[in-house]
Formats: sequence, structure tokens, C-alpha cells
Amino acid sequence: MIHDSILRDRLVTGDKSASDVTRDIARPILNNPTTSWKIGFTLSLVFLGIFGVSLLYTLWTGIGVWNINKSVMWGWDITNFVFWVGIGHAGTLISAVLLLFRQKWRMSINRSAEAMTIFAVICAAMFPVFHMGRVWVGYWALPLPNAFGSLWVNFNSPLLWDVFAISTYFSVSLLFWYIGLIPDIATIRDKVKSKLGKTMYGFFSMGWTGSTRTWARYELVSLILAGLSTPLVLSVHTIVSTDFATSLVPGWHTTIFPPYFVAGAIFSGFGMVATLLVVARKVMNYENYITIGHLDAMTRIIMVTGTIVGIAYLTEFFIAWYSGNVYEQYAFANRAFGPYWWAYWSMMSCNLIAPQVFWFKWARTTPWFIFIMSIVVNVGMWFERFVIIVTSLHRDYLPSSWVMYSGSLTEIGLFLGTFGIFFTCFFLFAKFLPVINMSEIKSILRNRE
Amino acid sequence: MGILDKKLSLRDRNKMLIGVWEDEDQLVATASKLVHAGVHIHDIYTPYPVHGLDRIIGARRSKLARIAFFCAITGFTLMTTMIWYMYVHDWPMNIGNKPVRFTPSWAPVMFEGTVLCTAFGMSFFFFWRNRLVHGIKNETLDIRQTDDRLIVAIETVAGMDEKAILDMMKKGGAVEMREFENGVQTVI
Repeated sequence: MIHDSILRDRLVTGDKSASDVTRDIARPILNNPTTSWKIGFTLSLVFLGIFGVSLLYTLWTGIGVWNINKSVMWGWDITNFVFWVGIGHAGTLISAVLLLFRQKWRMSINRSAEAMTIFAVICAAMFPVFHMGRVWVGYWALPLPNAFGSLWVNFNSPLLWDVFAISTYFSVSLLFWYIGLIPDIATIRDKVKSKLGKTMYGFFSMGWTGSTRTWARYELVSLILAGLSTPLVLSVHTIVSTDFATSLVPGWHTTIFPPYFVAGAIFSGFGMVATLLVVARKVMNYENYITIGHLDAMTRIIMVTGTIVGIAYLTEFFIAWYSGNVYEQYAFANRAFGPYWWAYWSMMSCNLIAPQVFWFKWARTTPWFIFIMSIVVNVGMWFERFVIIVTSLHRDYLPSSWVMYSGSLTEIGLFLGTFGIFFTCFFLFAKFLPVINMSEIKSILRNRE
Repeated sequence: MGILDKKLSLRDRNKMLIGVWEDEDQLVATASKLVHAGVHIHDIYTPYPVHGLDRIIGARRSKLARIAFFCAITGFTLMTTMIWYMYVHDWPMNIGNKPVRFTPSWAPVMFEGTVLCTAFGMSFFFFWRNRLVHGIKNETLDIRQTDDRLIVAIETVAGMDEKAILDMMKKGGAVEMREFENGVQTVI
């Protein structure tokens, strides 16, 4: 019995059949690259080159080419680290949390969001790794015996928790992404014409046949991985927030940080997903798969999480006043009215005020406007991390330590360069793997409720 | 019973009757009728998960959840032992005069290790059980079974009324029917 739900719009429009789904989604893989893909990929390579040059200069000359100093010892590097890790959260959130909540609209966007997670975590990892300075002894962060040069690691340190959290998050996200890809890789294996393509897709499809027995176990393994990934995604950004919250720096030493950081991560992650998908649906002709309904759902989440983040900003201010702690009060007054007031108000405008526009249906259903707003969200979330890090550090307990900080050309180059890493990976992904989960989309074509 | 599900391989199978469907609902109804008529369906191959088919063909409930739990316990034990050995037993570190014993600050590393071990351990067993190996030769009956066709494979046994089965498949909406013997398929 086939019937349309009276409650919801169709998740896939255009009366698509299963073969239409394969044809539409596999088109970029089976055909030669389009001009827009070539232009985008070349531009990404340029930014990747900027990253390479900036990194080489940093390694060759030393970490002194960054403007970080004895007071502001974390600057653009850790700002960028938290920015990229935050973006990396939407992928697992969309795949895992929305899977557990049986939200079928996730099916059109989960694949690219998971890919985004992996690429964003790679970008994030660059900053703490190279901030170490002597990157060649970076393995000291791992639990290795004393004979390797360092002592055993300190299990009380949030920085060590980060090593475990981010590496686990990356590995499990990669596994989750790959398991989700196997049926689609098998579809490409059976469609691709070239010998090299058949060999490569054959290798990575692991002999997938679509057996009913395998599908039953596959769905169970996906569900359990989703159940594992959900607390994992919460733990990762909670741990990132404890890098700050367990210190005694005014402006950092607050218990609100874990939920506030997690909400911020989801907010910025959805911002980046919206940036990518609004463009991808147009350029790759996926408008029947990533519909206005999908954009509507994503923007609602952006609005809700933006509001949670905004409430956290206001709560911080209230608690600083209510605590009676003069250092805490100064730190927050300095954020809003000190020399970095422009960064603070950029953050407030982009993260709290701007997303309120999504109360209006027009704003939630107009792709070009959503694209602009997604950029605003990303800019705002970068400023949030800059505000937290730089405004708290630049005014130490000792006025003699007070300094101003701005990123050097190398730091700016590294940050812009990570966009090169991110988009180079994303363009390669869009060329060689299905951007939308074909097998899941085929299962909802009948719109059963 | 070994971990590898040998039913997934098509090697050394008797003659098989293959039915090809385009419509999922017709397939489910026909598969159900065939099973009620006493026919043993070897497997059904679909490009997407069709819920309920596993129960129709009599596939047993997976034990993966139990394996996941076992992996979780292993991961938790390994991480707790590792931290205790490094931090308490081998080289106690005095950092800020904090006590060198089990504290809640161990929890993040224990948790991450548990998740890592569970995810990879369970997935490893999933791959093993389902004969999913890099580079293995895929045994597809029809190249369209990963695209838009749903394939039913029935292994023949002595005394089986093949004509009656083929009739049921045709009436049930099969768009193609074939015989599969010694790796060769013949259209019926």
C-alpha cells in the first residue's frame, strides 16, 4: 500500500525511482569533472598552497613567527582549533543523534555532513600539533614509557583528555562514515566502466551484495554506532571546553562551558553544513534530494542552538556580576567594552541576534539568504572563540603583563590555508564518492509513515 | 557455529531459482507466500534495506549487541588498567600535590577508550560475520541488485516443484526469472 503522509511533505521530490536516484547521485562520479568543479578545486589548491607556505615558514623559522606572547599564549591557533572542531560536530550529530530520533530528513545530508566532520577534524588537529613547536616529538603526547623521552602522560590534564577524545572522535567518525558508504560504493562498483574504477570501488566495497542478512546486521551496527557516537560527540566538545574551564583564568573558569560549547559546536557545524549544501544542491542539481524542507529543518536547528549560545553569553555576564568576584566582573566588562569590544559585538550580532531572523518562514526557505546567514554564523563562531581566548588572556592578573594581540600574516595564512585543506578534501569527496546516501534515500522514496 | 556466515557465499550451491522484482511491496508479499508454502528462500538481495524481509527468510536475530557489550567491557578494563599502571603503579606523579589514586579525572580517558574499543571491535566482528573483506570477489547475481532491482534466490532441493514456484513468482510480480547453476544463469 503506497500513500503520502498527511503530516509531512515528501522528503524526495520529483517522483524519483530507485534508478533515478542512482543516476542523479552517481552522475558526478561517472562523468568527467564539470567546469565549476575544476574552478572550485583549483581555488582550493591555491589555499592549500598558502597553508603549505605558511606551515613551512613556521617550521623553518620557529613558532616565533606567530604573534602569540607570554600573556596571550593561545591566539589564532587555538581559536582556529576550537572553530574547526566545533564545525566537525554537525556530521556526527546529524548522523547519530537524528538517527536515534528517527529523523528521516537527515538521510539527504548525513553523508556530506559526516565527510565535513572528518575534514574539519583534520584541519583542527593541525593547530595544536604545530603549536607544540617541536612537532617531531609530538608523539610524547601519547602514553609511552619514560624511556621514550617524556614521562608517562598526566591523566589529570584536559589537554591529554583532548588527545584521546579527538583521536577517538576522528577514528569512530571515519568508521561510521565508511560503513555508511559501503553499499553506495558497491553501487558505483557495478556502474563504473573503467578498469581502475572497478578495481578501486571493488576493493572498498568489500564484496557487498545487499544480502538481506547483511542489511539486518548493518542496520543494527549503524544503530549501535549511533548510540556510541552520541555521547562521544557530547564528550569531545565538553573536553575541549574543559581545556578552558579547569583553568583559573577569569572568563574561562566557568561551569557553563561544557553545555555552552556543545551547543556552539552544533550551531557552527550546521552553519557549515548549510554553506556547503546550499551550494551543492544547486551546482550538482540535487534540489529534489536536498529540498527546501531540509533547509527549513536545518535553519530551525541553527536558530535554536544560536539562541542557546546567546543565553549562555548573557548567563556568563549575569553570573560574573552575581558572583561578586571583581576579577570575573572585570573580565566580562572588558570583553564588552574593552579594546576588543568590536570582536565581542561581532560575536553577539552574528550568533545571537542574526539567527533570530529564522523565526520568519521566508528566511528559512530562501536558499541565497540561508547561504549568507550560514557565513554570518561561521564568522560569529570564529569570533566567539577569539573573544573567549584573547580577551581573557590579554589582561592578566598583573597589569605589567597586559598586552594586545593580533594574528601575524603567518597565522592568518595558516587559517586561510585550512580552508584549502577542507575544500580540497571536500571537492575530491564530491568527485569520487556519492555526496548523498543513495541506499537510504531509496528506502524513503515511497514516503511511508 | 563459526563467526563467518557461510550462507552468504554462493559457492558450492545447488541449482538456484532467481526471481527479479521491481516493486518492494510485491516482493515482500510473494516472499511471504513462498515461505508459507514451505519454500526455503536462500537469500534476498536488495539495493536498500527492506524491513521485515530478514524475518520472512528466517534469519536469526544478530548477536552484535552482545559482542558490542563485551568489547565495551574489554575497552573499559584495558583503559582503567593502563591508567592505574602508568599513573599509580609505575611512576606516580606529584602534580599540585593531588592524590595519586583513582579520581573522576580518569573518566574521560576511560570513556573514550571504551567507545573506541566498542566501535572497532563490533565493526570488526560485523565485517567478519558478513564476509566483508577488502578486495574479496563480489558474488552478485544481478548487476542491478545494487541499483534498483530486488532479487530472490531459492536453492532447489530434491522433490521441489520448481514449476509451481516459478508460477508463484510470476503471479507475484517477478519481472524476470532465471536458473543459476554452476555459476551460469539461464533465463526461463
